[in-house]
Amino acid sequence: MLLLSLPFLLASCADDTKGRIVSEIKSVNKLQLSQMTISKLATIDDLRLNDAENLKQGVMALGDAMKVGNRVAAYSYDTYLTAYIDLSTLLPDDVRIDDHARTITIDLPAIQTEFSGRDLGINEVHYRVTGLRSEIDARERAEIKEKMNTALKKEVEEKPFFRDRLVSSAKAKAQTFFSSLLGGGDEGYSVIVNFKN
Amino acid sequence: MKTLYKLSALLIVLAVCGVAAYFYFAPGKSRLTLHDATVKEVRDMARLCTVEIYEEVPVRGHVGDRHLIAREVLVGNISFDIDNLTFDTSADTIRVSLPREIVEVRESTEPGSYTVIDNWNDKFMGSSVITVEEENKMKQLTLESFIRAVYRKGYVRRARAEAVANLTAMLGSLTGKPVIVTDPTPEGYPAK
Repeated sequence: MLLLSLPFLLASCADDTKGRIVSEIKSVNKLQLSQMTISKLATIDDLRLNDAENLKQGVMALGDAMKVGNRVAAYSYDTYLTAYIDLSTLLPDDVRIDDHARTITIDLPAIQTEFSGRDLGINEVHYRVTGLRSEIDARERAEIKEKMNTALKKEVEEKPFFRDRLVSSAKAKAQTFFSSLLGGGDEGYSVIVNFKN
Repeated sequence: MKTLYKLSALLIVLAVCGVAAYFYFAPGKSRLTLHDATVKEVRDMARLCTVEIYEEVPVRGHVGDRHLIAREVLVGNISFDIDNLTFDTSADTIRVSLPREIVEVRESTEPGSYTVIDNWNDKFMGSSVITVEEENKMKQLTLESFIRAVYRKGYVRRARAEAVANLTAMLGSLTGKPVIVTDPTPEGYPAK
């Protein structure tokens, strides 16, 4: 029976991976200027009758209150947001030297931001599962991490504060870096750094 | 009398359906509370990134009779700290030596980047629960093995070669002078 069903199982696996990239290596030419570490915390706890807003929630809270033991936990992990400029779009005309005014003007590509991943592990800040309550297993933790990830990305999209702070830090770094790189010579030129939109 | 029975039965069915519909549609409450994200650190850097990696890997491990198998998507990049480059400008040509590479690998933030496929105990009725520490250790071993593979597959060699080309072009166009970037270790610095 198992042998008979094997081709179908393999076919369904093949369909599942169709069109999905499983491995990719890509050449880029980016100058990373700033990185933000964002921490997210989630807690699991029983529902309380006082917090119930309708009958359904009341029944759920009552159900939790009748269970023997506690099930409380807190998890956190970090996600990284990086600001960079794409150097492949930097053209020779973007650097202009004015010997008369003794200035070097550079028009850098616009600063872009991207999520550069999250911690592999998760921190268990608190764990108290007692009595007859079920343990929090790896599958449940993975689901919690997934929900935290979705909420964090939504938060970063909705609150411009995160990206604004990162971009302003990246701009300041670009100013320092290119000023030191271009104006560090004996000629004593001052460097003006602009960003394209 | 028969009609009264029928009517009562209908009312009971409607009441049951009403209660079921209420419990189905009324907003529930999650036992999971997601707290606001906080900024832990903002770090400045000047890193030239030349290669980006995306790979789906299996996470396999066991602690005694308890086993875990999961699927994880890793993202990474190979970059070079160019903030503290030492330039030799004694001649007309600028000479720079390529620094040590930074291989940074993390879990992707794309949806479904970590999913547990199976978690079991070899012993009948034995607990299959893997603790956070045990799971994090399995993931750490997967990461270390992945980074070794990054060197073995020549990704670092490729990143260094591209960094030489990109750095030469960048410094050349910025300074307007001939630039020679040398690479003392084309294979990189794999961890011992």
